[in-house]
Amino acid sequence: MARYGMVIDLSRCMGCRSCVEACKIENNTGEGMFWMHVFRRESGKYPNVRWTFTPRPCQHCDNAPCVKVCPVGARFKREDGLVLTDFERCIGCRYCEVACPYGVNYFNWKNPSSNQYYDWEGNEGNDVYGAGKVQDAIGDSIPPYRNPDHEKKYGDDKRLVAGGQHYKGVVTKCTFCVQRTDKGLMPACVATCPVQTLRFGDLDDPDSEVSKLLGQKRSFRLLENLGTNPRVYYLEGAEPIHEINADLPGVTEVRR
Amino acid sequence: MASKTNQPSFALWSGSKIFLALAVALLVVAGWGIYAYSQELIYGLSVSGMGDIGTGGGAAWGLYIVFIVYFVGISFAGITIAALIRLFNLERLRPIARMAELLTIISLVMAAMVIIIDLGQPGRGIINLLRYARPMSPFFGTFTLVISSYLFASLVYFYLDGRKDAAECAKQPGRWQWFHKMWAAGYKDTPGEQRRHRHTTWWLALFILPILVIAHSTLGLVFGLQVGRPGWFNALQAPSFVLMAAVSGIGFIIIIAAILRSVPKLRDRLPMNIFTWLGNFTWILLIGYIYVMAVEILTSTYTAHRDEVLLTQQLFTGDYAWVFWSSLGLILTSFGLLFGQFLRRRYTISLLVVSGIMLNLAAIGKRFLLIVPSQTHGTLLPYDAGSYSPTWVEYSIILGVFAIGTLAYMLFVKIFPIMEIQETGKGE
Repeated sequence: MARYGMVIDLSRCMGCRSCVEACKIENNTGEGMFWMHVFRRESGKYPNVRWTFTPRPCQHCDNAPCVKVCPVGARFKREDGLVLTDFERCIGCRYCEVACPYGVNYFNWKNPSSNQYYDWEGNEGNDVYGAGKVQDAIGDSIPPYRNPDHEKKYGDDKRLVAGGQHYKGVVTKCTFCVQRTDKGLMPACVATCPVQTLRFGDLDDPDSEVSKLLGQKRSFRLLENLGTNPRVYYLEGAEPIHEINADLPGVTEVRR
Repeated sequence: MASKTNQPSFALWSGSKIFLALAVALLVVAGWGIYAYSQELIYGLSVSGMGDIGTGGGAAWGLYIVFIVYFVGISFAGITIAALIRLFNLERLRPIARMAELLTIISLVMAAMVIIIDLGQPGRGIINLLRYARPMSPFFGTFTLVISSYLFASLVYFYLDGRKDAAECAKQPGRWQWFHKMWAAGYKDTPGEQRRHRHTTWWLALFILPILVIAHSTLGLVFGLQVGRPGWFNALQAPSFVLMAAVSGIGFIIIIAAILRSVPKLRDRLPMNIFTWLGNFTWILLIGYIYVMAVEILTSTYTAHRDEVLLTQQLFTGDYAWVFWSSLGLILTSFGLLFGQFLRRRYTISLLVVSGIMLNLAAIGKRFLLIVPSQTHGTLLPYDAGSYSPTWVEYSIILGVFAIGTLAYMLFVKIFPIMEIQETGKGE
């Protein structure tokens, strides 16, 4: 069986964030939800400055803290390496969210219909974007927050794991686009990236593109010392960290 | 028996206008809380001040979790006191045994209520927590040990302990006679029954004591086992939860005992030496807590581990400084008050109550400091610092839960003797 993983070549990333956009469109994630996020960091002093970018999907850890703490087994690890949420089982305690060191979880705080950038019901008339009622604009076509593929069940045990808009009160996160990968397609972010920063494939297959890349270049994983064993590898570049304030007693050195 | 005719603690406050006014006020607050919860059910948890950790810049666990921990914490008092009386024959604490046990039961029910309120899918939660329970989750301990075993054991203990008085009350006609009859369940107070009850409660007390420590530790481990949150991943988390629970629980029982002492009928039955004992017990526990706290602060500052430093910075001088310093101040002041009274060998009830209130405020503050900053300022990846401020919905729901708990306590005191009847009979 394939064991999926992602390889992100930081030397290629230019911070266009089309992966973020593609993810939002594919998964219909709600307002303020970024299953894919790109850290941006400025280093150096003017005029010698440099921007570096670090895309951050869910790390799909092999020893996932979120899977460990889930009291009902709604967050689970699939045999092919994907860490997914069963939206029909999740009780919304948000323990996975506080347990995750990477901050990749997003809770559906609102009802799906009011969770969108545009209000489907259109009760408030014109919103800040001047869009008004979405229903008026697109007629009776499929509402923007519904993708038929999200409503299908995936995996051997047929669980509702795709998309992020089914219910209020459940925790969602990056699924490696399970609705696409199960069809043999790449996740939306990988398929969209214009410069092939993101690669996706079978890490168990030594001849796969991702395995070959890992063999050729220096790689690291985020917060590796926590023992979470992520399945997302970064090539080149460095781990993004917090800048530290040297004012505090005990801090003798400012790192980077 | 004299106790039968004037019923010293039985018809407490009956028909009193103050009782009625207080009950109505509490009902109004509870109703307001229920209205706030209806808003949460309709619009989702977005009506709370919570938000997503990371890019959302919020705290996914907020005031609800703070108060779950707090309510479970004050439940410490009842069973400890009951078990101390039973196992170590501390007879002088007997008058406060039942009020402490009642506090345990009610606060645990309040905690369970807030747990359900905190869930995004409350209906599903009740079913799935039973159906798909996973022992690997630290929450499992919270539900099985804390809420189920602890509450169940406390209820059994409470029931057995109250049976004698229930039988006594059931002899008299009244509106609540059916309740007393049901509780007594045919108890006749024969020597055989007395012996059996003594044996059962002794063994129950023996088994409850370890559950007590394990249950409060389990709650600490909900946080202490999380490697991804600075400020949480800490071997001292479990012991510090047990100690803080003890301090706030005993502090709370001081307040309740003082309130009940203000009722003229009960005044003589709550002698000063009970308060002296509670005060001494509290400062001894406080020493333990202050010690743990000092070790924690030293660990998080001395070595200057990057993420711990960023968090500690927020606590000392940042957004949470006022909560941190005021909680610390409250703890140290109340320790000074209690220890000072101990040195002078003279306790006054008003000072004890002040310390009790201060310790409970500090307990809420310390739980807030543990839970919230680690989420808003404890991200390991370079997310921007977040913030969390509770909304009116969260405050209203917590106040409503408090009101429901207080009302339940008051009603119980009204229909059942809060102190053992027999004892006055002997005393008079």
